Amino acid sequence: MTLELAIRLSEIILGLAIFQQSLEFIRSFQLEKILGLIRALLAIVLMLGFYPLLVETVLLVTSIVLIKRFQGPYNGGSDTMSLLVLLCLWLSHWAPVGYWKEIALGYLAIQLVLSYFQSGWVKVINPDWRNGRALQQVFAFTAYPVSNRLRMWAQRPRLLLVMSWTVVIFELLFPLALINQTMLIIALCFAAFFHLANACLFGLNRFFWIWPAAYPIIMWFQTRLAEIF
Amino acid sequence: MGFVTDPTAQPSNWVAFRALPEQIGFFSGLLRLFHNPQWNELLYINTCAEHLFESYSEFSEQEIGNRLLVALRSGEIVATGEADYLMFRIRVLEFDAGQSQGEVVFVSRPFAVSLSGVRQ
Repeated sequence: MTLELAIRLSEIILGLAIFQQSLEFIRSFQLEKILGLIRALLAIVLMLGFYPLLVETVLLVTSIVLIKRFQGPYNGGSDTMSLLVLLCLWLSHWAPVGYWKEIALGYLAIQLVLSYFQSGWVKVINPDWRNGRALQQVFAFTAYPVSNRLRMWAQRPRLLLVMSWTVVIFELLFPLALINQTMLIIALCFAAFFHLANACLFGLNRFFWIWPAAYPIIMWFQTRLAEIF
Repeated sequence: MGFVTDPTAQPSNWVAFRALPEQIGFFSGLLRLFHNPQWNELLYINTCAEHLFESYSEFSEQEIGNRLLVALRSGEIVATGEADYLMFRIRVLEFDAGQSQGEVVFVSRPFAVSLSGVRQ
């Protein structure tokens, strides 16, 4: 995948993710509603590809205003990822030469790899994740399961043990997907399915939209790595 | 959360805010993938509650109070009986040695229901 195509695809998916987030803010009140409206309009312009540097600059400013408003991210990791993708794309437009453009987007690709690998590492060193109890407690006690019927999954320890290890192995092996493009496509499909499952089980819909915004960039990054090595 | 007429009193009846549905159907789940503002707001309220659990934060208390007042004003929450003030509390479920137990770790100040504006 070429750098230009990766940037364009990434901006379209990012625009979609920001549009989705902004529509939810429009349902809110006061400053959130106003910022939601502004960001929804900017997201449409971003998807259309007009004035990307200007649009991304305003989106960055409004992102910072939102962080200040909520004294941190509103929706945890999905807001952080949105900001990271936006910042790296903005830097890629701002960069005077191709070398710095590649540095900015390479950084995003590495962060994406780390987002999975580090998450897997944190889990695998935790005995509760290794024996499935951590996921059992997530279903039983946390605010995340979206229905009472899902809470009952806490009583299915074997299923949760299999789910825990599937996630841990996938996350730890994710960096190896950079070896080959076919492996990367398979890994990204699995990752998208993982985010879809999180959206269905725990209501984390924003994660499902924002993580794929970085997938075109990692596709380009893998191609670039293959050229170098 | 609960309601009182005397700001120095404690609610006699506490109810959960946005209690979980029994189950979510396929089409409802599909819609939630695209648009789920109430759930994401609930996750944000949980973040604020975690901050309050760790140490007191006026911002977090105000944020939760504001959102409950907005829910009341929009009709999502219906107060039973006389309700001049709204209060909320945070109950933490702890899991220790195979046993789970709930403990109330925070009770908010009263928020006047009659105030139309929501402070930011």
